Amino acid sequence: MTGAVLSYSESPDLAGEVAAAGAEVAKLLGTEAVALELDEVSAGLRTVNKVVLVKGERPLETIADSAAAGILEFVKARGFGALLIAETRFGTMVAAKVAARLTVGSLGKGKRLRVDGGRLVLERDVYGGRFTATVASRMPCVAVVQAGAYKAADASLGPTETVGVTVGEPKVAITQTKQGQHGEAGIKSALKIVSAGRGFARKEDLALAQNLANALGASLGCSRPLSSDLGWMGEEAHIGLTGAYVHPQLYVAIGISGQLQHVAGIKDSKVIVAINKDAQAPIFQVADYGIVGDLYEVVPALTKALKQG
Amino acid sequence: MNIVVLVKSAVDEAELKADPSGHPLLKGVSMKMSTFDMNGVEAAVKLKEQNGGTVIVLTLAGAEAKKAIKEAMAMGGTKAVHILAEAADAPDSLGTAYCLAQAVKRIGAVDLVVSSEGASDTYQGEVGAMVAEFLDLPFIAYAKKVETDGVKVKCEQGLMGTVRVLEANLPAVVSVVSEANVPRYPTLLQVMVAGKKAIEEIPLASLKGPDYPDTGTEVLDVSIQSASRKKVLFDGTPEEAARKLAGALKEEGVV
Repeated sequence: MTGAVLSYSESPDLAGEVAAAGAEVAKLLGTEAVALELDEVSAGLRTVNKVVLVKGERPLETIADSAAAGILEFVKARGFGALLIAETRFGTMVAAKVAARLTVGSLGKGKRLRVDGGRLVLERDVYGGRFTATVASRMPCVAVVQAGAYKAADASLGPTETVGVTVGEPKVAITQTKQGQHGEAGIKSALKIVSAGRGFARKEDLALAQNLANALGASLGCSRPLSSDLGWMGEEAHIGLTGAYVHPQLYVAIGISGQLQHVAGIKDSKVIVAINKDAQAPIFQVADYGIVGDLYEVVPALTKALKQG
Repeated sequence: MNIVVLVKSAVDEAELKADPSGHPLLKGVSMKMSTFDMNGVEAAVKLKEQNGGTVIVLTLAGAEAKKAIKEAMAMGGTKAVHILAEAADAPDSLGTAYCLAQAVKRIGAVDLVVSSEGASDTYQGEVGAMVAEFLDLPFIAYAKKVETDGVKVKCEQGLMGTVRVLEANLPAVVSVVSEANVPRYPTLLQVMVAGKKAIEEIPLASLKGPDYPDTGTEVLDVSIQSASRKKVLFDGTPEEAARKLAGALKEEGVV
């Protein structure tokens, strides 16, 4: 029998989702699904999987080195069939480290998993999200699962087994931490998103986007220039290839031209709306609905129209 | 100090077209240095300028990578090491990391390996971490700032909202994000000189030891994604267009 399918996320918001991916893959393989938790069980974790709490002689989830070491110690003792890790920057590091240490296949990060001929198969984006690569690996192997592909089970936890490990000192030391307002999972799971781009002339004008977001009950995101070059918003709000991949019901892109790298992060949205003064902007090619016009006029009008119901 | 910077030659993903069956037409498509690797090269060259030493551009690719190598050399690379691997033999990410790590060992006396956050074509972001594991070196990922005094490396790491300052002893591996710097544009003279700098070629097979990780990963298919969007534009005054849009969103059941 194939070893257990393990799932892990340092993000409490994503741990339930990746555990659901684990449950599905385990069912296909006819094996056990185990949700790994490090240091302590996340409050609010919902899964039908067996939960194993791994505890080290030092905190494990502080740094990718230690998290990877904790998972490695566990799998060395117990074996595994597949390890699924939720996609965050932290998770990507842990997955790569574990795959390299065990020299097992790494499928990379993608959305849909399946089992074919005893191999685990993952569909992942390539070439800026314009193409899909289907990648297979024999097991055991490691895969990173993007948010939105699986839904956390509506179940309370069963009994938890605790496993102690010794991981040693990490090679990297943390000397300072500035905690952001939102976790890495923040915008990834938002159901509605209003997103701002270079079409906004001043930081203060983002209030227009915020008002629309409030009217919709949406989260506020942005394209890369606003979080990096201009620094108007935090990097956790950045949506795109190098930021968050989102999958909301509604995505409203305001003053965003729609470069490939931005579109890579939004293409799984159900409905995409674009507001841009440039009729030739590529964003209109990937939008369901669009208004060619001045955002300074259109956005307040849309906010008003939505409020009037 | 001796800095190795990892560079990947990638297709220009915006220009890539599909054949009638939906597979990418890779033959003859123009290649360039992977966009984010320009930030890696910039970080490496800046550290060289501050601390002295060399920047060795390391790549694993076929002959088509000459252009990417030249671009990196023009930005300030001292020399290049090209692991020659034709597309058919190109290893997976773990195999690539193993070979890059072997090459770093062969180069010898390397203080710092710099990579970018991910390749612009595949964007998996795992090779840097894997190289560090094969070399058994400390790894700091997603660095927004990199400083070194020649003994330690100190980085600001961006984890989407949380920023941490991390420190490790050299030698180490660091991956930088695209926010870390603005890559320089080489001058014409630098481009011309770059063509004359030394490129050492290493055949892929010569790096594969008995511990080469044969993990059995396989790319089964690469196909274009179909984006079927409605592309409906609403016109009229801003108020009229906004009312029509609000109506459409209600129809969709998303407001």
